[in-house]
Amino acid sequence: MKKIAKHNIIAVLKAWAKDHTVIAPQRKDHDEIAFDTFDEASFTLEYTKSSVSPKQALFPQNEVIFRIEDGTYRQVTDEKKRLLFGIRPCDMKALLQSRDFMSKDFKDVYYEARAQGAATVVMACAGPQSPTCFCTTTRSGPWSDAGYDLQLTDLGDSFLVEIGSAKGEALASSELFSPIDDAEAGRLLAPLRKEAEERIPLVPQVLEVMEKLKLSGVPDDAWEYFGNKCINCGGCSFVCPTCTCFNIFDRVVSEGNGERIRSWDSCLYAGFTKEASGHNPRGTQGLRIKRRHEHKLLYHNDRKTHGAVSTCVGCGRCSDYCPVHIGTIEVAKHLTEKKS
Amino acid sequence: MGDSCTNKYEPFPVVISRTLPQIGEHRLFQLKIEDGRSWEEFGHQPGQFVEVSIFGKGEAPISISSPPTRPDYLEICVRKTGKITDALFEMGKGSRLHIRGPYGRGFPVDELKGHKLLLVAGGLGLAPLRSLLLYVLDRREEFKDLILMYGTNNPDNVLFKYELLSFFDRDDIKYYYSVDRDQEGIWKQYVGLVTGLFDHATLSVEDTKAVLCGPPIMYRFVMEKLLKLGFPKDNIYMSLERMMKCGVGKCGHCAIGEKYCCIDGPVFNYTEVEHIKEAI
Repeated sequence: MKKIAKHNIIAVLKAWAKDHTVIAPQRKDHDEIAFDTFDEASFTLEYTKSSVSPKQALFPQNEVIFRIEDGTYRQVTDEKKRLLFGIRPCDMKALLQSRDFMSKDFKDVYYEARAQGAATVVMACAGPQSPTCFCTTTRSGPWSDAGYDLQLTDLGDSFLVEIGSAKGEALASSELFSPIDDAEAGRLLAPLRKEAEERIPLVPQVLEVMEKLKLSGVPDDAWEYFGNKCINCGGCSFVCPTCTCFNIFDRVVSEGNGERIRSWDSCLYAGFTKEASGHNPRGTQGLRIKRRHEHKLLYHNDRKTHGAVSTCVGCGRCSDYCPVHIGTIEVAKHLTEKKS
Repeated sequence: MGDSCTNKYEPFPVVISRTLPQIGEHRLFQLKIEDGRSWEEFGHQPGQFVEVSIFGKGEAPISISSPPTRPDYLEICVRKTGKITDALFEMGKGSRLHIRGPYGRGFPVDELKGHKLLLVAGGLGLAPLRSLLLYVLDRREEFKDLILMYGTNNPDNVLFKYELLSFFDRDDIKYYYSVDRDQEGIWKQYVGLVTGLFDHATLSVEDTKAVLCGPPIMYRFVMEKLLKLGFPKDNIYMSLERMMKCGVGKCGHCAIGEKYCCIDGPVFNYTEVEHIKEAI
């Protein structure tokens, strides 16, 4: 393992930026934290979880997949080598899950072009990043156990650096990183990890509702309770690190010329499943909310979970951002409530 | 094209070689590959679908109506019902468009071979089922008895009318046609729901594989009939319709429980979907 002084982080990021597009936590207007291209002026190490997950670094909200010139489709792929700095363990887990999904059966060339060269530097969590964090329940934090290239742990004026791959080894090879004896590093890590895990409250209802969905399911009217509240904004899907559903559409620039674009989509929208005939197999908002939660908590068998219990990685963003309180935590609590 | 293409989202150009009007807002389009090659290496199977691309309008999933035994053309039967199909209906012979595919798991031709077949279609469901029907007729000796049941809402809405009529001359296919309503009294065959045809057909459950394709409401009632007759669940296949955007199991639109209709289907054995509440 290695160590790096905090005051050297900027220098390291600048060095990495020479041959990578470095994506790092940036403090935006209104103190919003976003993962964006490294800019020293707005870069911050004082950050909690980002509003939107860093999934957009590999899967942008909108991307041109073909440029159409005189009726001919020309593939557009983005092969910039990215380095994702400071992503949280929950988001790391989500990234591993999403990458598997996007490359299984056949490789999604657009996702893969960004993902294959990408390096990941995880920032372990010393505790909950917001009251909605529940990664200890979903087993996707507060530390990453695998998949990262480097993982940093805050030691006060320095970071402990765990090396997870050959790529990580190369990234931490400069003289700004100093070696630290593994046994000593282990002694430093163990109590920090234990303390962080204890500070993140368990939400046993999430596991209970998973069991319930598997064994008996939940009656449709229980989903309609949420369906009636839902304002159909799709925000939960957009902030979710494991949501990867998309739409494909064309933008015309001139006769025979334009772009084919793919953009994030959400299973919460009525039009998501509506067929040309007008038939909608998921015809109510309750059924759409059921779909979203069943996909996260029940039907994750289409995705490898990389050690997490589900494809919900416990980041809590849906609970942070849903204006009408239909986050995973609220749903799990409501559906497992003991009626007296 | 097919597996040789590294980017499955990339469409290739085809040309409309013929358009054949069907009922009302339905039309059959015959497509040729732009450079004149045969469709043989496209490798489509009965029951699969393509994504049709019309520049500026986007893409729509459309089932293939012709069998691979007729590789000179690829046929798609289209109902005019949205942005993309509206644009397609503006096109005629010689017009150029793009497609990608073939996608999905089609009818399990190898499992059907050597068995008696009962094909049940409702409405536009005949469009995908026709690829299997013609396949069986083209390779008639590989299958045993063939029964076709086709129901539509009224005599004006019978798809592929001339093809269906041509079976009158054949003794290697038994056919039963129905219309829900016949206000003008012109229909010579059964009037009533497609399920009513079961009272008129002589069916042997043994050794028969049933293949269904129709609107969701049809499945419920036809399934009831089949199970009552004693059809084993695993001898029943159905093609399910869902909104499919990418066609390759990524975009999420066509998910049915843990399955993706576009890659795990659209054709399912009944035992694969009976436990999924939202499937049928």
